[in-house]
Amino acid sequence: MSFFEGVELIKKDRAGGKRKLTGAEKREARTGLAFLSPWMIGFLLFYLLPMIASFVFSLYDFNPALPDEAKFISFENWYRALVIDTEVRDSFFRTIHFMAISLPITLAFTLFLAVLMNSEHVMGKNVYRTLFYMPTMIPLVASVLVWNGVLNEHTGWVNVIIEWLTGIEAVGTEGLRWLANPKLVYYAYTMFGLWGVGNGMIIFLAGLQGVPTEIYEAAQIDGAGWWRRLFRITVPLMTPVIFYQLVLSVIASLQYFLAPFVLNDGTGFPEGMTRFYMVYFYKQSFSFFNMGYGATLAWLMFIVALVLTAILFGTAKYWVYYAAEER
Amino acid sequence: MKKLWLVLAALVIASLVLTACGGAAAPEAPMEEAPAEEAPMEEAPAEEAPAGKTQVRWFVGLGAGTDEGAIPLEEAFVEAYNASQDEIELVLEIVDADNAADTLATQIAAGNAPDIVGPVGIKGRDQFKGAWLDLAPLIEANSYDLSGFDPAMVDFYLVQEEGQLGIPFGIFPSFVLYNIDLFDEAGLPYPPAEYGVPYVDADGVEHEWTIEYMTELAKVLTVDANGNDASMEDFDPENIVQFGWMNQWTDWRGVGSMFGAGSLVADDGSAQMPEQWVEAAKWTYDGFWNSWFIPNGPYGGAEFLQGGGGPFSSGNMGMIQMHTWFLAPWAFDGTTFDWDVAAMPSYNGVTTAKMHADTFGILKASDNSEAAFEVLTYMLSEEHATDLLTIYGGMPARLSLQADYYDIHAETNLGGKEINWDVIAAGMAYADNPNHESWMPSYLETNDRYNETWNYFANTPDLTEEDIDAEIATLVADLQAIFDAAE
Repeated sequence: MSFFEGVELIKKDRAGGKRKLTGAEKREARTGLAFLSPWMIGFLLFYLLPMIASFVFSLYDFNPALPDEAKFISFENWYRALVIDTEVRDSFFRTIHFMAISLPITLAFTLFLAVLMNSEHVMGKNVYRTLFYMPTMIPLVASVLVWNGVLNEHTGWVNVIIEWLTGIEAVGTEGLRWLANPKLVYYAYTMFGLWGVGNGMIIFLAGLQGVPTEIYEAAQIDGAGWWRRLFRITVPLMTPVIFYQLVLSVIASLQYFLAPFVLNDGTGFPEGMTRFYMVYFYKQSFSFFNMGYGATLAWLMFIVALVLTAILFGTAKYWVYYAAEER
Repeated sequence: MKKLWLVLAALVIASLVLTACGGAAAPEAPMEEAPAEEAPMEEAPAEEAPAGKTQVRWFVGLGAGTDEGAIPLEEAFVEAYNASQDEIELVLEIVDADNAADTLATQIAAGNAPDIVGPVGIKGRDQFKGAWLDLAPLIEANSYDLSGFDPAMVDFYLVQEEGQLGIPFGIFPSFVLYNIDLFDEAGLPYPPAEYGVPYVDADGVEHEWTIEYMTELAKVLTVDANGNDASMEDFDPENIVQFGWMNQWTDWRGVGSMFGAGSLVADDGSAQMPEQWVEAAKWTYDGFWNSWFIPNGPYGGAEFLQGGGGPFSSGNMGMIQMHTWFLAPWAFDGTTFDWDVAAMPSYNGVTTAKMHADTFGILKASDNSEAAFEVLTYMLSEEHATDLLTIYGGMPARLSLQADYYDIHAETNLGGKEINWDVIAAGMAYADNPNHESWMPSYLETNDRYNETWNYFANTPDLTEEDIDAEIATLVADLQAIFDAAE
């Protein structure tokens, strides 16, 4: 019996109402549950319970330095986050602003790189694949610090090269201050992200290699050029992978934290532009010790991320193509 | 199928987002706690050390004491203490400064608090406001003699509604630290070597030692790549290679205190910006962007200002305001220029030399407060305080130790260099009160917020006085919101 026949049987079973399991089926179910139980116990202990705990925290005024003074304040933290504290809204929109810049650039660049690495015209593809993947092996903190030096307005080679190539005054105090200019800083942070696209590239590459070659051959015989094949065959057939990457990237963008924290200790420099939502959440929870308020902020982000993900899943039926799915 | 995906996605997101804030049990209902005034005189049973000694844990990290050079000396101090004791075992816990606050908070929340914390300054202490034990009952019960300290310094640790949170240990007065070579190169006489005397210029003319006159010197000491100084018309502000002044490693409150002590918290608890601190901001902004004698944001990362002890150690900074903790090998190792110290200038006839002060506190959550106090008295004693002060570079708060401190410190840390210690000691009389690091509601959040405005000034040219006033008005409104939320 194939997998799909099995699924059909289950559907029939469901349609016909519940039936009693046989002894063998019960044993099988118990064995299955036993195999699943380590994951389920881990999930309960290390995910679900902390989640419940964090919700309880959100109803408390709780400072870990003064645990005895914890006070139940009902939904006051929620009211503060949603109504009073404008920084919650501001930091959220900063995050969305950054996501609107970095996410399309990163996804497009990653896909472009994967297409390039999949091209029959590129020689030594394995070497390039390895080279493009290698930066992901470097811890993110280290690469952020390296980029901090690379983008330094006085000594960074990016500015030196720009000045050398274009003659624009890019070096020095009047030069391009990538990390200090509010108009440039999101692009600089996007560059950090591009450095680590190796994982995404591999996933896209796997997707590209799954596209049947006969479709390309048929299109080629019909006279379709490279661009047409890219947009009419490659991209549509890659939409499940693009969708997967998009969902993960949206969640990762909403949680963007490390680079601004490593570079500025979460101060938001320049002009608060890098005080993203998760940075604000971290500061409230672990710097200012407003643990109850921090838990509220975490829950708000969870709700936002859930809604955004649901919206993405809702749109999927209009643009994501699953070959095995009934349309 | 889609529902399954949605549920799975929700779980993944929830896990990713929420676990950061979980991990501990829900806060317990407030436990009954003995009031601070009734600190237990009888030692609570503690974790037994191998030889049946009471363990007292000493947490280092909120202030000085975590650098590589300090650790072996602290370990030696603990070893010497333990060798002298039959009943108490002192256990040293050093946590890197970046993680110290989080670690300490976690330890307290988990019911695993250390006993003694320090050295800790006002800022570190107020980060844990409410967590410190009032030492007054222990001082009284042990008849601890405070007469060896300046009463003003004892009162420095007396906090309203919280009690005596510390006993004076190390004090760090501030002063003008200047680069002798750069003064010589500019043909400028040195700043006054004592308080209350005027600055005498190269022509022998006396000038009152004020911030205004110090500014003029700073401009002459600010030099561009062509050798022009900031007082000249041909000065090129885009190619500065040497600066004249900086309030190094401090914030708005620190700079503000040079113009007069103040507080962001008004008497009625509301947020405010003292008038003299507004002036300090405008003066600094002028130094950043118009008169160019203070390094602004873009110059902050310039290579010629990098040194082991920040811009001053680079040898390209004429004068800074600094504290005695800076007078240490790490700040001057590898430098080739000569330096000395001078009096702080006055503003509107009043001189203020901001003060840092460190001590050790005992946490309310300590199970061994009596034993901890015994250790504390050992650490602060006439016989042993110098050992620790030498590690941390502090001037003894104990009056009887001050006379020898200068020689010991200079010999131990500065290769016997002759320094005008008199002017440093005299600076204590001009300490800022209220202190520039004193308590504010939601201390670190408030700190973050005003630093943001300060950074904006440091990185934004072409602001008018009205722009600065508007930024300050916004800042005060935001601080008020933070204060309100902290209530």
